Amino acid sequence: MNNLHRDFATRDALIEYVAELSPWLDERRVSPIVGGAKAGLEKLETIAPLEYGRTRNFLNGSVTGLAPYVRHAILTLDQLRNLALRGCERPAQVEKFIQQLAWRDYWQRVYRRYPERIWSDVEPYKTGYTADEYATELPKDIVAGETGVACIDQFIAVLLQTGYLHNHARMYVAAYVVHWRRVSWQAGARWFLHHLLDGDPASNNLSWQWVASTFGNKPYIFNLDNLRKYADGGTNTTARDNAVLDASYEELADRLFPRKAARQ
Amino acid sequence: MSDLIWLHEDALRADHPVFAAAGADSSVVFIWDDAYLQQMGYGFKRLVFIYETLVELPLTILRGDQFECLARLAGEAGGRVLVPATPNPRLQQTLERLRGDFEVELVDDVAFAMLPQEVDLKRFFRYWNKARKVAMTPGGGSRTGTQ
Repeated sequence: MNNLHRDFATRDALIEYVAELSPWLDERRVSPIVGGAKAGLEKLETIAPLEYGRTRNFLNGSVTGLAPYVRHAILTLDQLRNLALRGCERPAQVEKFIQQLAWRDYWQRVYRRYPERIWSDVEPYKTGYTADEYATELPKDIVAGETGVACIDQFIAVLLQTGYLHNHARMYVAAYVVHWRRVSWQAGARWFLHHLLDGDPASNNLSWQWVASTFGNKPYIFNLDNLRKYADGGTNTTARDNAVLDASYEELADRLFPRKAARQ
Repeated sequence: MSDLIWLHEDALRADHPVFAAAGADSSVVFIWDDAYLQQMGYGFKRLVFIYETLVELPLTILRGDQFECLARLAGEAGGRVLVPATPNPRLQQTLERLRGDFEVELVDDVAFAMLPQEVDLKRFFRYWNKARKVAMTPGGGSRTGTQ
């Protein structure tokens, strides 16, 4: 065992040192999001819990970006909740914000009580397919962000570059991977855990299970209209470049889950 | 005899209750365990984020096998091993091995919502129906129940 360095003149020097400490990795991209309590507390000053409830589902909405700090307990849920309650006139104004914090508490409780659920299906898929009909490896075009579905490729590029993705974009990507490409949620979850700074076995994997329908009542899918409602100006939402998403929910369900449709 | 605090990746904070639970002359360590980090599947972005967090904390960073490092340090210190509670089975395995030779104490983090252990977790909204009242209270009801 040997003592590692703690003092670095610059961020680049620290990054170079971490590269020496991780010879098993070939990919060396670094997030613009800086670790540590100092950066986390600075970000905490900028959050807007009141706005959050109204705009959080929009890709340019008032989300906090605090998840990486919460994931490693640099900041606590208690701290965020108390801050939100102090900044409002009535608790109901920040209920949506606190409810989202509660999702993390819920996932952590599931993890503690049922650790086996992190990598195993909690329930069967409700898609008409059995678990063994899903690919266990992520296709190369998804790993590279070259699926040909414009919005998905844009979201993957952000994930690979920054290690952060808006929650709604995560759901879109997860739905695409599991339901359009029929890849197991485990393969997708492993990939997200690798790239997301806030990737947590409980929040990440159980959310993938929710999208997949193995921890929820139905599969989560979306269409181009939904994307257009929530997308920001930078997202390519044209029908030409996102053809597989351009349909009604009924048409998509028939296409993606034909056996389920036949049974109904 | 002094205590050893093992700060792992699920609790990278200088005011975690584990510090208050330890004796005044305790030492604090983070173990950079190559095999563990590979098993967790973390990419470079995450490793940098974790390291940036570590250098702000009052602790020694050691590179080696988690169990071997902790067993050696705890043997030298002679006191308890205090560890922030974690649901992570890999970290728990290391703690289980340490329990053979040392007094290991888990310390819970500050609670978000104090609820009965058996709270219904079948779906989020079943949990939320029970948790809402305390979750919407400063401190999460932390002086009135159990986590």
